[in-house]
Amino acid sequence: MFVVAQSLDDLVSLDPAEGFELSSLQAFTALYQRLVQPDRNQPSIVRPVLAANWTGGVRSLTFELRPGAIFSSGNPLRPEDVIFSLSRAVRLNRAPAFILNELGWTADNIDRHLLKLDDRRVQITWSKDLGAPVVLNILTAPVASIMDEKEALAHEAHADAGNGWLRSHSAGSGPFKMRRYIPREALVLDANVSSPGDAPLLKTLILKNVPDAATRRLLVEVGDADMARDLGPDQIDALGGTPQVKLLKFPSAVIHYLLLNTANRQNPALANPALWEASRWLIDYEGIADKLLRGQFQVHQAFLAAGSPGSLDETPYHLDVARAKAILERAGLGQGVRIRLSVFNQPPYGDIAQSIQATFAEGGIALDILPAEASEVYSQIRSRAEEAAWLYWVPDYFDANSTASAFALNLEDGTKTLAWRAGWQIPELSAESRAAALEPNAEARATRYRAIEASVQRSSPFVIALQARTVIVVRRPVTGYFQGLNADMAYYDRVSK
Amino acid sequence: MTLRVYPVRLMLRGLGTLTVTLTALVFVTFALSSLSPIDPALQLVGDHASGSSYAQARHELGLDVPWPRQFARYVIGLAHGDLGTSRSTGQAVREDLERLFPATFELATLAAIVAAFAGIALAVLSARRPNGPLDSLVRIISIVGNSIPVFWLGLIALLVFYARLRWTGGAGRLSDAFEYTIDMKTGLVLVDAWRSAEPGAFRDAAAHLVLPVLILAAYALGNVTRLTRAALLGEARKEYVLAARAKGASEARILWRHVMPNARGVILTVLALTYGNLLEGAVLIETVFARPGLGRYLTSALFAADMPAILGAILVIGTCFVTINGLTDLAVKLSDPRTS
Repeated sequence: MFVVAQSLDDLVSLDPAEGFELSSLQAFTALYQRLVQPDRNQPSIVRPVLAANWTGGVRSLTFELRPGAIFSSGNPLRPEDVIFSLSRAVRLNRAPAFILNELGWTADNIDRHLLKLDDRRVQITWSKDLGAPVVLNILTAPVASIMDEKEALAHEAHADAGNGWLRSHSAGSGPFKMRRYIPREALVLDANVSSPGDAPLLKTLILKNVPDAATRRLLVEVGDADMARDLGPDQIDALGGTPQVKLLKFPSAVIHYLLLNTANRQNPALANPALWEASRWLIDYEGIADKLLRGQFQVHQAFLAAGSPGSLDETPYHLDVARAKAILERAGLGQGVRIRLSVFNQPPYGDIAQSIQATFAEGGIALDILPAEASEVYSQIRSRAEEAAWLYWVPDYFDANSTASAFALNLEDGTKTLAWRAGWQIPELSAESRAAALEPNAEARATRYRAIEASVQRSSPFVIALQARTVIVVRRPVTGYFQGLNADMAYYDRVSK
Repeated sequence: MTLRVYPVRLMLRGLGTLTVTLTALVFVTFALSSLSPIDPALQLVGDHASGSSYAQARHELGLDVPWPRQFARYVIGLAHGDLGTSRSTGQAVREDLERLFPATFELATLAAIVAAFAGIALAVLSARRPNGPLDSLVRIISIVGNSIPVFWLGLIALLVFYARLRWTGGAGRLSDAFEYTIDMKTGLVLVDAWRSAEPGAFRDAAAHLVLPVLILAAYALGNVTRLTRAALLGEARKEYVLAARAKGASEARILWRHVMPNARGVILTVLALTYGNLLEGAVLIETVFARPGLGRYLTSALFAADMPAILGAILVIGTCFVTINGLTDLAVKLSDPRTS
């Protein structure tokens, strides 16, 4: 039995077509498999999992299913399960459905895009301008998890395709199967010995909801938990002298950035590139990462997280108040710039906001911090009502296109990307982002994305500042836990103690 | 005849009060929710979701109609016993409440019993010699119990009694060895652990309950002690006590036969209010000790603007308050002829 003390308060649904919170995404990796998944050590390489192999055509991919693959129910994997799982996610149209919508899939056309060729092969097609590498990466997203159609439909109620039942049960083929889910208390998983691939080393995995970080620290210190997640810097420091535990640090793809809304006409300074440039010199990057948040972040100034294919790892900006003042003076913004900064009303956003408020004040820019509930901040941003906001970004699937099409794409076609929300008109950069998504060669794609990142880094209403680290505490001698860059890449199958 | 009719009339009046109170509670909560800056649909689907997913969520949550219609829909559902589905747990609110209320009930009842016995005992000791050393000590205890933040006390208690001394259980209602094997039929962990016949389960459940119960009781103790003491001293100054003392009655007899019965109305009311507050749920204790309960459920629902969960929890809390107040009134009236 392996006990993980973490917060499960965010968990709404364990249906992969619906759940889109950190806890559910991590659970999906344990409970479900997809046709293809990123290699855990080299995530830029896509490996077949429930597929045995695939072949590409013009806007199409044909997958041959893995022979002998069965679900935890004992039912064999069939092309019908693949078609059911993907079309169901599109039709249910819950939070993560937009990832599959990127392929041009809608409830009206999905049946045309998923085709059973024979008892072992299934073909998928798409209508959007995307290269096969991007499509494969989209299919690695948790929303593309393959579920047992027979099991799901056996529990259907009110034509919900099993949604109500799957919120608290599983019908997958992952290394674990769900024994019991008690909302806001625990998720208890048992080993699925028939999982395609190796059976997990643990017999039982308990993800236990312990909402208070100090209590999580006590549990792992005493030994009633084998792992504790989401401990703050204070808890980590307090465990420093405890020989029974060790820290595991994994880079995460979560990026923190400042968004300046150029569409806000009430504050015209926001649309001035000089303000964008000065802002880059008015953030104490190292101070926030190393002193304020003590090792839970690293300085990173491009939109693709370090470790992702195509990431730009140069960090040309640092706190330089004199340079920022000179830039503002030259642009006639030397005095009287005042900006309202929206931030989430929870740690660590308040601390970060106060730090940049202090350094911006040194440069002559007054920041009024407006803390609010996350959905309130997002409501403002979606309607472009805010002036500036400190936000974070998590890629939706492991491909540069997921992030680039947010920061560097604004086609003014109704798609409300981050660039649209910032009111940033970028026809050339948008064309480059589209071209990069179509590029079939991996190295050429990475080069294209690095050029786009450099452009955004140099001059844009986004000041990208930090990349998060996931810090996890485990008891000795726990081994084998690995966590990748993306939110769902939590691998418990090789864990032993 | 009058005696037989009286409780029925009282019960009918109580039911009327309950109905009016709950209707007003639901209405006011619904009206206030329309002022909330939180967008429940956005909260549910997240920032990355497509416009159509967002619109679908608004429709499914019933947010695309004016709130009076939302209210009418909710009341109709309520009349059919449907409390809706919680947006933050994804489960039926009724199931959530059936699982969580027994946990809160158990914790609050045990804490209320401890607070009542300890509080009355301390108040009696204190009132025997007003302003004496014992009285001062009791006042300090009650002020400290009331003023130390319970989350801090909870964490310190866990650190000392669980992590260092290993005298008590830690987070949760049971150790992991029992937690997911015992059938929680009643939802009361002591009862279910006892019924399970698993060796050590009852002891384990009690070990996990002792700290939260004592900390909650310590918090409630202050009010019980101070108000009971004031009630006893108020009675002790009256002439009938002087008369009893002049007749040669002992101090113990004066206290138990004369003062205490006359102060029982105040004491019962204080205990009822204390119990009602505890039943509201102790969100901080539930958070620190990772225990399921109504308080944390309601707080999480408030942050998520999860209206079905908020309304469900408020209905349960409202019912508890009205019932406790009604029963207290009945107890006071039945035991005190002056109020009949």
